[in-house]
Amino acid sequence: MSPLSTVRPRRLPPSGPPGPRPSRRALLAGAAGLLPLAASGCGSPETISSDPSELVMWYWNRSASPELLDVAAGGIPGTDMHVRADVIGTSFDTKLRTSLAGKAYIPDITYINSNNALYFTNEDLFLDLGELGADAVKGDFYEWKWDLGTTPTGRFCFFPLDIGPTGFFYRQDVFEEAGLPSSPDEVSAAITTWQDWIALGTELKSAAEAFMVNDAQNIYEGVLNSSPERYFDAEDTALYLQDGSAVREAWDVTVAAIEAGLTARIPRDRGTDQNAAWSSGRTAGNIGAAWWTQVLAESAPDTEGAWRLASQPVRAGNNGGSFAALPHTCKDPEAALEFLMWINSPENQALAYEDVQLFPSTPDSFTDLSYSGTFFGDQDPLDFFSTAAETVPTSFISTWETMISGTFTFEITNVETSGKDPERAWEDALSQAERVLTKRGVEA
Amino acid sequence: MTAAPPALDEGRTLSPGAAPRDPRARRRRRRRETLPLYLAISPFYLLFAIFGLFPILFSIVLSFTDWDGMGDISFVGLAQYQFLVTDERFWNAVGNTFIIWFLSTVPMLFLAMVIAFLLHQNIRFTPFYRVAFFLPNVTSMVAMAIVFGSVFSDTFGLVNSALTALGLDAVPWLSSPWGIKVTIAAMVIWRFTGYNAIIYLAGLQSIPTDLYDAARVDGASLMQVFFRITVPLMRPIILFTVITSTIGGLSLFTEPQVLLGNGGGAGEAGMTIVLYQYNQAFTQFDFGYGSAIAWALFLIAAVFAVINWRLVSGRGDGPARRPRAPKEARR
Repeated sequence: MSPLSTVRPRRLPPSGPPGPRPSRRALLAGAAGLLPLAASGCGSPETISSDPSELVMWYWNRSASPELLDVAAGGIPGTDMHVRADVIGTSFDTKLRTSLAGKAYIPDITYINSNNALYFTNEDLFLDLGELGADAVKGDFYEWKWDLGTTPTGRFCFFPLDIGPTGFFYRQDVFEEAGLPSSPDEVSAAITTWQDWIALGTELKSAAEAFMVNDAQNIYEGVLNSSPERYFDAEDTALYLQDGSAVREAWDVTVAAIEAGLTARIPRDRGTDQNAAWSSGRTAGNIGAAWWTQVLAESAPDTEGAWRLASQPVRAGNNGGSFAALPHTCKDPEAALEFLMWINSPENQALAYEDVQLFPSTPDSFTDLSYSGTFFGDQDPLDFFSTAAETVPTSFISTWETMISGTFTFEITNVETSGKDPERAWEDALSQAERVLTKRGVEA
Repeated sequence: MTAAPPALDEGRTLSPGAAPRDPRARRRRRRRETLPLYLAISPFYLLFAIFGLFPILFSIVLSFTDWDGMGDISFVGLAQYQFLVTDERFWNAVGNTFIIWFLSTVPMLFLAMVIAFLLHQNIRFTPFYRVAFFLPNVTSMVAMAIVFGSVFSDTFGLVNSALTALGLDAVPWLSSPWGIKVTIAAMVIWRFTGYNAIIYLAGLQSIPTDLYDAARVDGASLMQVFFRITVPLMRPIILFTVITSTIGGLSLFTEPQVLLGNGGGAGEAGMTIVLYQYNQAFTQFDFGYGSAIAWALFLIAAVFAVINWRLVSGRGDGPARRPRAPKEARR
């Protein structure tokens, strides 16, 4: 492919005529050995496909409907371009970063997980989809999801794919046995605040010796994910340091729940134990997103019919849900955006839900969808989560949050599993967060 | 090795009476003969230079910078190292690494020696046992982690079921600091005991049998034979396994990662140095700090290399230092 390969010397030692000096020959041979490397290194193209009408897209398994990708492979409707979708396995972010840093083999379209805030500091590597006319379909999407795709400088770089509205999953059979409210409406009514939720959990604990959730992190993130305020605002103000911050509130709720003994103290790195706890009913609940339904159905199939969904205290949150972005090297941004708008149209998101259970980010999708499973008995999870999605607040996830949120969940886990003093754990989380931010050059 | 063929060649071509060739031609011819050899080994060196040497050198540069893996690389001087020396998480990882190394290496090498000693006896099916003991070493780590995760599970695990059946208290293997370390050490022991036993077995087979025969004639017990003959003669081989176990222990990564994930478990009790480095570089995308951790590990490993080297060379020098040679010279 590269012009360099045509000058590869044919005379390889040692069969050549005696004329040329060996030193030159050694040089040539060495150069010949280096040629393929040079060709792959220096002359590498920015985009992956040399076909001018082919857009290469990176995604991961089950993040797009294969059926729709097949259609796009034949041609993006309304354009003369087509899409080649490549499944990128593990370490998706590392591979994307590598291609962007090396300025070589960059995909024309890339999916990005819910950690899109990681890319805010390098937003100039991605195109502003607002400039390309994405606003035309803005009204189709949940507003809070659209806003999560907007960078702090107001550029709309991350196009909404699926979402993860949350609710409180619980074992109806366990609640019933304990003599607690057990129908979804009753439980929802009993847990309108986190204090009520803790009170209900205390009753569950004493009546059935069952836990509300497996780990404290689940509560901490559940509270924070339903809060309009998080660690930072778009102006980089460290909100978590202020009195009465949402972070501190989530912390206090979690500490109260830990002290009431509501958590089974099984951290999430121990998936086997978590699944066993849910299957056996030792842990009778979880704050989970819509996508957790599949996880649960696969890991605890015997509990089919026993689970119900109740509205999370205060309001629903969002956990997870991906985005799509166009790297600055995209071959044909208009056609690429056309593809994103097409594959994420309400009809096609409904199709993708049926195909790979991606929860639609467009409210209109639900008019086309109906649920027929019995995992939640006669309750319709689609109905539940699409209603929940309406109440998810608009929030802002900062790049800096992705660097420090781990210190808070780490410390809350210490409080839970090793009985660390909550106030000391909070102070440790704050000082560790400050150290990390200072090192990364952020003034908090 | 390469010097021998040209010398032979020289002898063959020099006919009597011929004028000695001019040295330049000779050098040229030698080059022509050695070139294919260099070419033959060059693929390794080229690939190593690109995929081994360059990343190593580049990580030195990166450890003085702040880089998120895709944006601008900004030079920060010694800031990463300053952070490192005061980073409690790093020192916790160093402590964990050494504790796990000690918990795994000592029982592992002892067990390996015992197994090798037993395999060396005249028992039936030795090849079968050899394969059986080596098998864990080539077993998929991920599968292993799932098995160990289930066996050591706090509430539903086999070990705790056995303990409670015996009337003992269940141990929170995967949520207490020591439980996590013991579980990881158990994984290392399970995986590498057979490997070390095979090495010991090779060493045992090189010990002359007449020594054992003599011991048996003198009425030594099996224990005496083991501790008085086998262990002393095996010292160089034991030293070798200690060195390889040290290397393996310092770079412990796979076991905690597949068992506990990138976070190192509750309280980071299973966070090792390399896992922390991976965590910082590839989950936090802090490549500068990840590189600094890597070089800190290099320094720690270098200290151990020196200790090992002193141990080895200390024994090797022993006889040579005896003033024997001068005496001979005097005669």
